[in-house]
Amino acid sequence: MFRLILKLAWKNAFLRLSRTLLVVIMIAVSMSMMLSIQGIYDGMTSNLIDKTKRSDCGEISLYNSHYRLNKNLDNVIKDAKGIEASLNERPDVQAVVRRLSVDGLSATARKSAFSSVVGIELDDEIAFGRFDQFLVDGKLELGKRGALIGKELAKTLKVHVGSKVIFSTQDSSGEINAMALKIRGIMQTSMVLDRSALYVDRRHLERFLGVSDTVATQIAIRTESSTLQATLQKAYPQLSVMDFLELNPMLKQMQDMMHIFNSITFFIVILVVFIGILGVMYVSVLDRIREFGIMRAVGMEYKYIRREVLLEALFVGVVGYVVGAILGLLSLLYLHHYGLNLSQFSEGLASFGLDTVLYADISPIYFINTFLAILSASLLSVLLPLRKIKHLNPIEVIKAET
Amino acid sequence: MIQLTDVQKYFYRGESREVHALKNINLTIEKGEFSLLNGPSGCGKTTLLNAIGALDSVDSGKIYLDEKEITTLSEDERTLLRLNEMGFVFQSYNLVPVLSVEENIGFIMKLRGFDDDVIKNRVHEVAELLEIENKLQSLPNTLSGGQQQRVAVARAVASKPKIILADEPTANLDSKNSIALMNMMRRLNEEEGVTILFASHDEYVIESVRRIIKLNDGGIVED
Ligand SMILES: Nc1ncnc2c1ncn2[C@@H]1O[C@H](COP(=O)(O)OP(=O)(O)O)[C@@H](O)[C@H]1O
Ligand SMILES: [Mg+2]
Repeated sequence: MFRLILKLAWKNAFLRLSRTLLVVIMIAVSMSMMLSIQGIYDGMTSNLIDKTKRSDCGEISLYNSHYRLNKNLDNVIKDAKGIEASLNERPDVQAVVRRLSVDGLSATARKSAFSSVVGIELDDEIAFGRFDQFLVDGKLELGKRGALIGKELAKTLKVHVGSKVIFSTQDSSGEINAMALKIRGIMQTSMVLDRSALYVDRRHLERFLGVSDTVATQIAIRTESSTLQATLQKAYPQLSVMDFLELNPMLKQMQDMMHIFNSITFFIVILVVFIGILGVMYVSVLDRIREFGIMRAVGMEYKYIRREVLLEALFVGVVGYVVGAILGLLSLLYLHHYGLNLSQFSEGLASFGLDTVLYADISPIYFINTFLAILSASLLSVLLPLRKIKHLNPIEVIKAET
Repeated sequence: MIQLTDVQKYFYRGESREVHALKNINLTIEKGEFSLLNGPSGCGKTTLLNAIGALDSVDSGKIYLDEKEITTLSEDERTLLRLNEMGFVFQSYNLVPVLSVEENIGFIMKLRGFDDDVIKNRVHEVAELLEIENKLQSLPNTLSGGQQQRVAVARAVASKPKIILADEPTANLDSKNSIALMNMMRRLNEEEGVTILFASHDEYVIESVRRIIKLNDGGIVED
């Protein structure tokens, strides 16, 4: 019996091939577009998050609890070297860096800009977040007077590789001091740092500022542990231990917004699927209203007819899903490997810390969610057509023939 | 086997354009009959046939099928009664277009839950009787009208219903096909003992049946 119904559903779904194909294509195209958009949106956010983690705060960052309100050299982490060493011992910590950062004014002969000089240890940064990959021009080296500069800041100051920059700031004794730096390379990292950062050798900066080599303004940690933050806060109550999202409320907002965009796209596509299947099923049922009337007349129970129509809608939905999933996966794979080149909008994107080529994320969740939604849309879409059959009076149908 | 007592049927009951479609019908159909409801168009043949076939309700009177009253059944019970006890042949052939001839003939048996082997044997048996055994794998729309109507008869007869109700089965057929169909139905009646009740005003049907029940204006005028 079930086999007969299955066969009826299958054959009917593909009897009106062009109509069914139209809906299948409609589902497949809208679905694969949605998958691509989702992948790009997610890729965009995770790219930003990834870069910010790698170049700046990791998953967790430690500061002196007064530092974020008042960034002066009184508010440094005093025993940063010791803390760094003991963090490196922990198995749940993947990498640690400590940085010494100070705000001041960078100037060339013609331009000047507020900026931060960040004292780093190049090898540690490479281990921490593949710092070398952020280099877009010049060489990755610091030396005694060398500096790497954020791309946007370089633009503001109109400097390039080889230019000289004077950075002046207050040292630990309160004196205004200046150092001359030579730009060795240009870095493209995350939004804030691109606009403000000059990277120099940490030891050089320590000496310039007259601080001990055990202090730091920030200790950043890479980890996969979700409990590490609480543990560290307990271990270092005098410091503020902050996780990525606390440190980057903007990115959290952006993530939420992308989630809303994705939900809206998803909803629209599912609506399209719903209307598509509803349309094709409605017309198909109306076309066969006599057939259903005769089936009722000869004694076929309504539940079997309902099952047949349901299966028919499912066929259309599932075939659409499969084609859409294949197209979507291909498109996502392409966007994952080759990216979406948005160079004509690159100015705007880069100022957000985004790359001009966006790479898509691929997650099985996309496919599972879409499958469930298309399944539900198919099942819901037959409610209206089925009402037509349910209230069908077989005598009227038979009479209509004469 | 089928007994009707004082059956009345109105359309638009109580309204100004009320139609008294069946007037006080008393009728008995015995097992094995090969009979015809005859009369001019609009005299109530279809209405009476539908009432007997549990397709339509009546307003008063009783209809019994083997001692079982069918006038009081619910919609769902009537559906099952039609499936298990009745066979229908309509003016147009009403085959399922996506199923082969073989599947169409076996359709009702399948709905009734017969085994596939039983269905296959029975389908071949009736197909042979109706001379469509070489068309079993075809789709209905590749057949002529006469062949399609024979498939419809085969479908009705295959599950061995108590009675086959045939409403104007020859109306869409030419004379040659009409005569052929009536001959085959008569053979089914004789060889398998199926009870068949026609509703028709077609001369070929009149010529071949054994009993004619004449209706006029909703009442039986001659038997
Ligand atoms: N559904 C209906 N609504 C109103 N009148 C109907 C309906 N069905 C049949 N009738 C009327 O009942 C009478 C008998 O119709 P019918 O049984 O179809 O006649 P026949 O089959 O003998 O041509 C006719 O007058 C017809 O107009
Ligand atoms: Mg009629």
